[in-house]
Amino acid sequence: MTEDNPFTPTEPSAETRAETGGQRYTPVDEIPDVAPSKELDWRTRIVAATPTAWRVLKYGVAIAVAVLWIVPFVGLFMASFRPLGEIIQGWWHLEGMTVTLENYRRAWSYQTAPMGRALFNTLIVTVPSVLVVMLLGAMAAYPFAKFEFPLKTTLFFLILLVMAAPPELVAMGNYNTLREIGLFDTYMGLILVHIGWGLGWVVLFLRNYLLGIPKELEEAARIDGASRYQIFRTIILPLSTPALVSVAVIQFTWVWNAFFFPLVFMRSPELYLAPQVLPLMRGRIQVEWGLMAAGSVLTMAAPVILFLLLERYYKRGMVAAVAD
Amino acid sequence: MSLRDHIDGLEGGHDSTGDPAFDREKAIALAVFLVPGMTLFGIFSVGPIVYSAVGSFFSWDAFTMQSFVGLDNWFRTFRDPLIVHWENIRQYRFPMGALTQNLLWVVLHVPISTLLGLGMALLFADLRGRRILRSMVFLGFTVPTIVIGLVLLFVYDPQAGVFNELLRVVGQGQLVRNWTQSPQVAIYALVAGGIWVQTGFNMLLYSSALSAIDPSLIESAKVDGAGPYRRFRDIIWPLVKPVTAVVVIMGIIWVMRVFDIVYAAGGTAGGPNHSYSVLGIEVYRAAFEPPIDYGKAMVVALVQLLIVAPLAAYIARMN
Repeated sequence: MTEDNPFTPTEPSAETRAETGGQRYTPVDEIPDVAPSKELDWRTRIVAATPTAWRVLKYGVAIAVAVLWIVPFVGLFMASFRPLGEIIQGWWHLEGMTVTLENYRRAWSYQTAPMGRALFNTLIVTVPSVLVVMLLGAMAAYPFAKFEFPLKTTLFFLILLVMAAPPELVAMGNYNTLREIGLFDTYMGLILVHIGWGLGWVVLFLRNYLLGIPKELEEAARIDGASRYQIFRTIILPLSTPALVSVAVIQFTWVWNAFFFPLVFMRSPELYLAPQVLPLMRGRIQVEWGLMAAGSVLTMAAPVILFLLLERYYKRGMVAAVAD
Repeated sequence: MSLRDHIDGLEGGHDSTGDPAFDREKAIALAVFLVPGMTLFGIFSVGPIVYSAVGSFFSWDAFTMQSFVGLDNWFRTFRDPLIVHWENIRQYRFPMGALTQNLLWVVLHVPISTLLGLGMALLFADLRGRRILRSMVFLGFTVPTIVIGLVLLFVYDPQAGVFNELLRVVGQGQLVRNWTQSPQVAIYALVAGGIWVQTGFNMLLYSSALSAIDPSLIESAKVDGAGPYRRFRDIIWPLVKPVTAVVVIMGIIWVMRVFDIVYAAGGTAGGPNHSYSVLGIEVYRAAFEPPIDYGKAMVVALVQLLIVAPLAAYIARMN
């Protein structure tokens, strides 16, 4: 909804035009010092500015719902800064609150798998998985959108099939493949699995985007003698930047947050990824809430910050990825 | 083949001295663009799926394929009480088997999260600050699902959990318990957590569908005297109906894949006495925890795919 008043004319009216001698703009020396006041008395304006009871109620409910939705995360955040004794009493008790970074310190150097190391591992796996998927995905999407070739329908069908498949279905085959080629329990192995898994949706997503790029652009370039590779590099890639940003954000979040693939393919504690470490922090008898909360906050920081920064691309990509 | 490609083919034929019907340059370009990506896709996605489909008809010695056994693995899996436990289903007592529990999850989760998502999208549609409100609700969907599982553990804890505190405050103290570890109610507690996360996603899809509606349509309906209910039924609903199909199907796919939340709450057993195990957990346990049973793992994973494949095909056909 626009905030503009549709009844305010955007063009100067006939009288104004006559006053200014038929000119479109008021000459500089005729500009009044103050803006013309609206021709409404204060009573009408107050009534118009005061929301109705129905609207106030709507705001109240909306804010209550949104706050309710993040209460668990507020609790997690509070718990990560407080000693265990206080957390057990309830993080919502604010009196006598002790703020400490002890949980973060312990999580960072957690004995089984230090969080610092785990976050580093996660980064090492995530960055190549995202970049390679973007490049190879864009390359494969281009022919899908713009050319006809044999087996196109078959490939298309396979992509849809993989998008519907659960990650568990590819775990057994990939486990044996990685064992055979000696990449099991290595960064490279997990990166390859993530690339193979991500390519399906990325190709489909970018293809839908490329279909919207007008053919005339390419044709003009072809007439100028550009090869297909030059067209791809100088026209297709730059024009699909917004879609590529969406792909990067969503693929980053997916790979960073992934739990099942690391659980299956990373077995040495020094190669554990951050999401893998979190369930280990639960402890045996008394759950170590503070430690677990600090670890969780460290792990979720990257995707959440990325989401807040690139919210528009994230949301648009999410909607386009499933709705198109 | 479009006209443009046809012309391209002719032009290519003029330049090269070879067969005019076959554009060699185009074929090479296609290969350069397609082969790297599709090779990785084939090896690490399509290959393993085919491998599982074939392997489900063979007997396995740990990780090595043995001999063809027909539908043996399939029969064995469906008779396994860990997958479907008929006796407990009849008495409506958990554990009812992973397949039953997974389907129960779908039946509860999908309608509720769809309705909540639509409700919130309508509620936030014309408020100031709606972007912040939407982001607050959507936040859970960007967080690792394993963290969601641990947060649920925290929320439902008898001492430190805010949910039990809420029960105490409203005077239902006798209900306080460790919700995620009580076999007969834990699955509902986890489903509530799943709904909590997915509602944000559904709201986002509905919001984008709502913002695509021309506001003048609603205005003219208002002028014609249509109340909120009529406006919803006759204008908004017909326009967001196609999105509902997507929301429902994505919800089913999400629930059929659910793994992290259950793992965080109940480990690889899927809760005390497997009382809220789901298919994903059964695959993991069969494939990667001794005694290893690859045949069963493949059958269960294929069941997961077979349940959602027709729905995905429906989405594909819709476009």
